[in-house]
Amino acid sequence: MLKRISEHAIYYIALLIILSLGFLLAYSSSDRSWQIGVIIAITFFYVLWGIMHHLINHDLHTKIVVEYILIGAFGLTIVFFLLSVNGNY
Amino acid sequence: MKEFLSHLFTPRESNNHRAKILHHTNLFLTIIFLLLASFLIQGIKGAFPSVLGIKADVSSEELLSLTNKERRNAGVNPLIFNEKLSEAAIKKAQDMFEYDYWAHNSPSGKTPWVFIKSSGYKYVYAGENLARGFSTAEDVIKAWMTSSAGHRENMLSSNYQDVGFAVKIGKLNGEETVLVVEELGNLYMPIAKSRVQEIATATDANTLQKNVQAVRNQPLISTSALSSNIYYVFIIVFITALFLDMIIIEKNKIMRFVGHNIDHILYLLLILILAGVWSKGVII
Repeated sequence: MLKRISEHAIYYIALLIILSLGFLLAYSSSDRSWQIGVIIAITFFYVLWGIMHHLINHDLHTKIVVEYILIGAFGLTIVFFLLSVNGNY
Repeated sequence: MKEFLSHLFTPRESNNHRAKILHHTNLFLTIIFLLLASFLIQGIKGAFPSVLGIKADVSSEELLSLTNKERRNAGVNPLIFNEKLSEAAIKKAQDMFEYDYWAHNSPSGKTPWVFIKSSGYKYVYAGENLARGFSTAEDVIKAWMTSSAGHRENMLSSNYQDVGFAVKIGKLNGEETVLVVEELGNLYMPIAKSRVQEIATATDANTLQKNVQAVRNQPLISTSALSSNIYYVFIIVFITALFLDMIIIEKNKIMRFVGHNIDHILYLLLILILAGVWSKGVII
């Protein structure tokens, strides 16, 4: 596993940078619309980045695309679930 | 049972070497379940608020005491409770519920200063902090104090001498919420620090409020606790399943066409942290 991570270090570092930047952008503002916009943008980049990585590795398959979309949708659904039930939109 | 759990959470032959919970169908069903649960909880919350509702224990007395504690720690004069500012805060809260908005300025363009002036407080300096969705006064003060959007500056500004609060429960954007309005002001130009401290010491005891604003709601089940528990269980279960799946597959050196679990784990960890922070409430 460590070998694979080191082989794809640039990809994972870039993903970490995208996620960290997203965290800072979302955390820095108390405007809920902005925060939700940032989380949607992070999800979009995460899906896109995952697909691109598989495309570069020549192992992209439709079910992999669906998997990234479903994990992204799960992430967004759980955020909306928490905020809507708490009345914190 | 052990077989079933292994089938659900670990990659093996019976689940085509991918934890069953991570299969597309199960991910899709989880999303549908969360959406249905959200509608169901909101439906029960609306129909039986005493059973399932917002748990809140916030009062203006606690808000004042905690604000002044922070100001003392920062070496700033404590604020004095002001009836007129309190009246302005109550009017502002009522206006927000009546016209259904969550902002410093109303949709018709009414600024916070309109409410302060109309209550008869002729300020030289004035400010406003808003919070909603918090269940305790400590959480409200903590959110304002850790904000980088001017709330902390308002809380600790030596330009202010008086404060008034409104703590109301009502509906905003169709969701029941606890709203906290803090109006800050000063009738005079701020004076030298040593003089301020003298006045502060002399008037520190003068913080008793005539009309204490408070929301104390104790439903049988708190929506906040229920939703947080569901949220944490789901997200932690998925992160654990992804982690187990990644370790076992790497160990057994099995080839398969799936996404990179480490990507999913990093993304879900971010969601876990952000939504956990946001679920406590929101300030502007």
